Amino acid sequence: MKILVTVKLVPDTNADKRIDPTTKRLVRTGVETVLNPFDEYALEAALQLKEKVGGDSTVTVVTMAPETGKEVVRKALAMGADDAVMIGDPGCEGSDVYGTAYALAAAIKKNGFDIVLCGTQSTDAITGELPGALAEFLGVPGLTYVRKFDVEGTTLKAERETDSGYLKVTVSLPALVSVTKSINEPRYPSLKGIMGAKKKTIAPLSLGDLGLDRPIGEAGAKTELVALADPPPRGKGKVVEAADAAAGARTIVEFLREKKLI
Amino acid sequence: MSMKDVIVFIEHTGGTPRRVALEIASKAREVASALDGGVHAVVLGKDANAIAESLKAYPVDKIHVAEDPEVDAYVVDPQVDYLEAVAKAVGPALILVPNTMIGRDVGSRVAARLGAGLSADVVELNVADGRVNCVSPKLGGLTITTCAFKSDYGVATVRPNAFKVAQGGGSGEIVQLAKPAGKTYAMKVDEEVVEAAGELGVEESSVVVSGGRGVGGPEPFKTILKDLADALGGSVGASRAAVDAGWIPHSHQVGQTGKTISPQLYIAVGISGAIQHKVGMRTSATIVAINKDGSVPIGEFADLLVVGDLFGIVPELTKALKATATTHA
Repeated sequence: MKILVTVKLVPDTNADKRIDPTTKRLVRTGVETVLNPFDEYALEAALQLKEKVGGDSTVTVVTMAPETGKEVVRKALAMGADDAVMIGDPGCEGSDVYGTAYALAAAIKKNGFDIVLCGTQSTDAITGELPGALAEFLGVPGLTYVRKFDVEGTTLKAERETDSGYLKVTVSLPALVSVTKSINEPRYPSLKGIMGAKKKTIAPLSLGDLGLDRPIGEAGAKTELVALADPPPRGKGKVVEAADAAAGARTIVEFLREKKLI
Repeated sequence: MSMKDVIVFIEHTGGTPRRVALEIASKAREVASALDGGVHAVVLGKDANAIAESLKAYPVDKIHVAEDPEVDAYVVDPQVDYLEAVAKAVGPALILVPNTMIGRDVGSRVAARLGAGLSADVVELNVADGRVNCVSPKLGGLTITTCAFKSDYGVATVRPNAFKVAQGGGSGEIVQLAKPAGKTYAMKVDEEVVEAAGELGVEESSVVVSGGRGVGGPEPFKTILKDLADALGGSVGASRAAVDAGWIPHSHQVGQTGKTISPQLYIAVGISGAIQHKVGMRTSATIVAINKDGSVPIGEFADLLVVGDLFGIVPELTKALKATATTHA
């Protein structure tokens, strides 16, 4: 079974990020680049699927990232993926969801696949829109927000989260599945995995290699940035020591009344 | 061609539109007026005809309906097909969908089909020189972007609680949709399991009461936090620490690896307010924190931090709120 996993490289989740007021870009100095935490769940699900299906199953990681992201991609290989495909073309810069999904779909089709696994969203853009667009461009069913799935032959049975519970869904492969955090606990790379990852292939792909029929990157983007502004300031508010529980409750009730929230 | 009309995808549950769907229908009127166009609503699946009737009370002009059982028998694809068909019939338009688990799916797919730009997590919409601008907080509220579309169609997923519901002001004509031809569907729904009937999710609630590590275990989420949320007509959220400890399901998680929300009131109970939580809730209108430690990071951006024992304050607060409600009744 050919298992593909999409990953994104994002600024470290725990870093306090800021925007440079003059360049209007994210200040990357001192902020480490990491694998998007959501994608680690997709990768873990892929590795578990490979272990279950066995045979000559492979897990391939697909990403769009500049050359400098190679070492981060290697972490995915250290976790156990067999190889990686990296679209590292400068022409990708400025891609929106549409362009990113279009290029990833081309790379995935070129590679061939039975199942594509994605994280639910990225921790930087937080749009959660990529899996749906990618499924459209791949022309396969795209099941999102999956918290549990099982594959027997070419039949996939899954639980898709909803706001009030979940749906039990059946779909035939090939398909795309995006997974939520509830699905598993991603493994840490073992020392053996880390050593082994150094020998694994990270195949670079240019946009030319993909033979796209439309521009991506900034030229192909369907949206453009008109303005960038600072959020309204949120300063330090009142800090009140509660003498006892009732006094604490009273402080909050008065505050809520003042704000006309009750 | 420039956009003229606005198409609103009406997400619904239990026979009524979700409030966010009415919020975006109301905002759609304003945008459509500025574009000199009309507002189209699309209602699909179970109870669609009854819901369409109820939509006549809101500022929509044309209500496109299909009470087609396949919409509920299969995941998302039938909805995308219907919405795509409406969009193609209407012509260049702004398509508004709720930024919810269903809306994000429908929005991203229909955008891919129409070659449309996609603006995610929109909290404000305006029209300048005939172009629609979408305002969204990015990087967890670190910066506010304004984006315009370069495509004929544009899709915006709109954050719940961003707009007010308005009534009246539309012609409310109901149109039955023809079934999209030649389609077969793959993602079959075998069963729908409801775990929290009738509850609004944290994304949609106007009040969210969240618990963190300081809450100490799963029990308070079902008791004192739930009671407080109920007294305020809100829902229960959680920090990553509480979710990772297995105290409450992930669907309640607020923060960078959970949901990003903007309720009117956010009450953080026993939550320190580390950066990864902050980005998920800092766009809340009002933030109140209860913590035993007065030096926690959340004190730097909460409107009110009450320092004390949460296990005492929270039940007292619920009691006081109930008493207030009775006095006012």
